[in-house]
Amino acid sequence: MMRAGKVVVHLCCLAVVGSLLVTTPAHAQQSLEARLASYRERVARLEDQDAVENLQATFGFYFDKGLWNDAADLFARDGTFEYGQSGVYIGKDRIRRAMLLFGPQGLAQGYLNNHMMLQPVIVVAPDGKTATGRWQGPLQLSEPGANGIWGVGIYENEYIKEGGVWKLAKLHFYPTAFTDYDKGWAKSLLPMKGQSALFPPDKPPTVVYRSMPGNYIPPFSYKHPVTGKPLTDLPEAADSVTGRK
Amino acid sequence: MTNITHPRASRAAVAATLITMAVPPVFAQSPAQRLDALDARITRLEDLNQIERLQRAYGYFVDKSQWKQLAELFTDDATLEIGGKGIFLGKPRVLEYMQTAFGPDGAKEGVLANHMQFQSIPDISADGKKGWIRSRAYVMSLGGWGLPLYENEYRKENGIWKISRLTGPFTLYTNWDGWGKNALNNTWPDKFDPPPDLPPSTVYLTYPAYYIVPFHYPNPVTGKAFIPDKGPVGAYAAPPGTRVQVDSLKVGQLADGTQPIAEPPKD
Repeated sequence: MMRAGKVVVHLCCLAVVGSLLVTTPAHAQQSLEARLASYRERVARLEDQDAVENLQATFGFYFDKGLWNDAADLFARDGTFEYGQSGVYIGKDRIRRAMLLFGPQGLAQGYLNNHMMLQPVIVVAPDGKTATGRWQGPLQLSEPGANGIWGVGIYENEYIKEGGVWKLAKLHFYPTAFTDYDKGWAKSLLPMKGQSALFPPDKPPTVVYRSMPGNYIPPFSYKHPVTGKPLTDLPEAADSVTGRK
Repeated sequence: MTNITHPRASRAAVAATLITMAVPPVFAQSPAQRLDALDARITRLEDLNQIERLQRAYGYFVDKSQWKQLAELFTDDATLEIGGKGIFLGKPRVLEYMQTAFGPDGAKEGVLANHMQFQSIPDISADGKKGWIRSRAYVMSLGGWGLPLYENEYRKENGIWKISRLTGPFTLYTNWDGWGKNALNNTWPDKFDPPPDLPPSTVYLTYPAYYIVPFHYPNPVTGKAFIPDKGPVGAYAAPPGTRVQVDSLKVGQLADGTQPIAEPPKD
């Protein structure tokens, strides 16, 4: 036993001296194969993040123009779609039809449905199979016969890789404020739409909140980038209507 | 822990180092060196992502007045300069600035203060320890619209990126009447509490005047560095050579060349 111990110590000393001599970084301890494999993973995660970012941007471009069929095709088999207080639609076909509540396929004269996708914070799971993304979504909306509307909200979405392709597993848009184009936030606050009686959702809203004057904070999918702590229990005003504290 | 490949890999590295001294490196790189180079390139891409994520997280905290969380994004010795308010030194002053100027932590009923972050140009230093971003915030708020521009610096401390300098000069601010009717003036050091530690690094006017924030990066095609205008900043926009343009160069300008910002634009 003593002999074996000595040998181990000896080898360790050699290793330390060796690394000091050529000042190789710690990762030189790994075999070339192990290093290559780990770098492949890191590149794959970067590619995943890129694909997720493009997926969400693509959704925005389709949704803007009422290309509901293309937009719905971006969802996973049992993907979910939830917009404000309209409830949850499950599966591609239900989602496709629910989108018709925003206007006809391809929209039409007098419709404006701009959903800009900004400020992504995407976190890809270490295994590269799922991801989350928070986005900021300013809105420019209009319907025939109605005045223009400014809006804004937050997306907190989940993504899944199916057969090597990234898809939307959960799209959850939390609109947080709407106003009449001419009046502005100080004079006009428009409410969110509720659940459709014409084409009811599969499930009620996962969270009950109201847009401005409420100041709801959609939960964060990512941790604080410096402290690493979860961003829960952030201070926000109690909501006098919903009773949320 | 160690295995038999290590000393061999070290010897190979030594040999490779010696060889690179004699012949062009591209032919002489050992597999380990090529992997080192690959590692550096991947790390750079990851770092670019991290500083972008940091800046976006900053924006989400501003939206909901989460000042303690926001201050945690900064290095201990960070500086903060927003609009014409002057420079605040250190993380505690960043927190004090936010909490004093904009109220205590927490999203408040009836308030909209979104600072939407986009159009970032991130860069990382060759040694991987510093980063920079030029980007913008589009402010959609109860009071109207605003457009700050950022030229920020970031530092990697123990493997974690933090904001070491936030510089956010304003391009324009307006209420709901719009910038055609109501362009709001820049801020200035004693416009609201708390007072800054240092005066503004540059005195400039906002729209309808204009100020080109120096770029941290060269033109990506020509490689030419941006040369800041040595003339007065904050000249009103008018065709070059016209009387209006020439006169505007002197608007509000003091003998030392600075332009006081306590007065709104005259026209």
